[in-house]
Amino acid sequence: MKGGWHRRLLAAHTALVYLFLYAPIAILVAFSFNAARQTAFWEGFTLDWYRRLLSNALLFRSVRNSLVVAGITTAAAVLLGTPAALALARHEFRGRRATQALLYLPVIIPEVVLGGALVTFFGAVGLRLSLWTVVIAHIVFSVSYVAIVVRARLSGLDPSLAEAARDLGANPFETFRRVTLPLAAPGILASALLVFTLSIDDYVVTSFVAGVGATTLPLHIYSMLKVGVTPEVNAISTLILAGTIVLIVLAHRLLLDSSPTEGAG
Amino acid sequence: MKRFFLILFAAAVLTSCGSKENAARAKVNIYIWTNYLPPEVVAEFERRTGIDANVDTYDSNEAVLAKLQSGVADYDVVVPSDYMVKILVPQGLLQTIDHNRLPHFKNLDPRFLNQAFDPGNAHSIPYLWGTTGIGYNKQKVKEPIDSWRALFDGRYAGRILMLDDPREAFGAALKLMGRSINERDPATLRRAAAMLEAQKRLVRTYNSSDFANLLAAGDVDLAQGWNGEMAEAVTNAPDRLAYVVPKEGGTLWIDNLAISKGARNLDAAYAFIDYVLEPKTAAKIVNGVHYAAANQAAWPLIDDKIRRDPAIYPPKEVLDRCELIEDLGKTMPLIDELWTEIKAQ
Repeated sequence: MKGGWHRRLLAAHTALVYLFLYAPIAILVAFSFNAARQTAFWEGFTLDWYRRLLSNALLFRSVRNSLVVAGITTAAAVLLGTPAALALARHEFRGRRATQALLYLPVIIPEVVLGGALVTFFGAVGLRLSLWTVVIAHIVFSVSYVAIVVRARLSGLDPSLAEAARDLGANPFETFRRVTLPLAAPGILASALLVFTLSIDDYVVTSFVAGVGATTLPLHIYSMLKVGVTPEVNAISTLILAGTIVLIVLAHRLLLDSSPTEGAG
Repeated sequence: MKRFFLILFAAAVLTSCGSKENAARAKVNIYIWTNYLPPEVVAEFERRTGIDANVDTYDSNEAVLAKLQSGVADYDVVVPSDYMVKILVPQGLLQTIDHNRLPHFKNLDPRFLNQAFDPGNAHSIPYLWGTTGIGYNKQKVKEPIDSWRALFDGRYAGRILMLDDPREAFGAALKLMGRSINERDPATLRRAAAMLEAQKRLVRTYNSSDFANLLAAGDVDLAQGWNGEMAEAVTNAPDRLAYVVPKEGGTLWIDNLAISKGARNLDAAYAFIDYVLEPKTAAKIVNGVHYAAANQAAWPLIDDKIRRDPAIYPPKEVLDRCELIEDLGKTMPLIDELWTEIKAQ
């Protein structure tokens, strides 16, 4: 009975933490179905905001832009960051420490500085601002996150596994493909999800480097603040949330499928 | 995972192909405030001229400044406010506008032309305009509000919101004293500061970003504020809220169409600006965005409800007493200093 009391307190504590984390999201979802234009009061159920969403071309374009940028950024950052993490975790070479320090830099410096520096750089090399400059800017800070996360995963692995593979006659490529990569996969996937999230809600850097037709969803939402955010934003956020959940479940499934004992992915 | 990235990559390739198809057509790149251009107005322009209009939106004048300063932004038409025009022109970021290429320029109300921020409208064409006034809760105030005096009235202690903006706060005090918003006389400014200091104990908060929401939520009953946000709040609660430009006059702001120095689609930019100046287009814009246009020829075509809304079109005699905020040059440090003292009390 005494233990029960403690357990109940812990359960209540846990429930409160989850409430704190998820209540705002639940409210956001609920108010996307609210008939009232302002989000302070509940005035009845409606699908109106979803209907209006369908005819809001600018909002739709901004969502598409955000998805394109986040998708390309994630792919590029993983392709560039993973080899960097491998090199840093597995090999001693001259300038290793400096490389590592430089990799941390884009994570540490304020976004305003990064955005300002990038736009000056684009100006200096004469690269016109567009959606591609947004992609480049996002890759700049994303590569660091991938390298850091994947490296952390690799340092936790036993190096003797790769040695064993080589002892058993695997060439370096086979070792990488059949041993190192599957072991690093959870880290790579985690970094990909992290980077995708960072890219899709970045405002500061994007606001500096976005060019014609490159309004992303965060830019669009901020620019709505002047005249008031409508529940259309709640509706699009709900859809993105649903999409994100599907993606995470899917990624989780894929990871489970590819990790079992038979080895190859 | 591989599949996931393949799909994303394919999506990216497809979208980039989509934009290449349009490369052959004439286009114009427009950078404008949110909710300033109804989609149907853009669609009609594209239909009629065959020019593609790319519209991007921003939330502050500083965004325009940053983009144009980068030198690599491809925006042809931008819409800076009055004071921002005065910052952009000396930096050579705006083109001189050839009025001969704008046959509909004649539709503009002379009241908004040839202002101090851009003499002769050499670099800017007035587009939409608005005012600073008082939003209030009709159920909570004692009598109809028509003067800045209400914001200095002890009966409303603790229920007043002032804009967190020295020029606007001093503007209210100076207007109440019967002086200009752009007063430069130090003694007069000190007297205005004394009024604002005495007012401080009545003020619940100084806020420039959220004032309409605080008023709508009932946190304050009287709020100084810009008419756009106020009009929105009033539309949502017409029985409870109202907006008025005080009889002494308030500040006036004008947002202006301008062409960037590096504009690559000059013909299309002129075509777009002239299209916007057509009475029919201007009226459609006003009816769609609920801001007042500087276009007098559009007046008969504007919805009656909007024409009679004093939050959008204040009465002429009140408008006559409204002023644009001008750059005060050497007087600014004094105002900043007095404002800091008031806020620090």
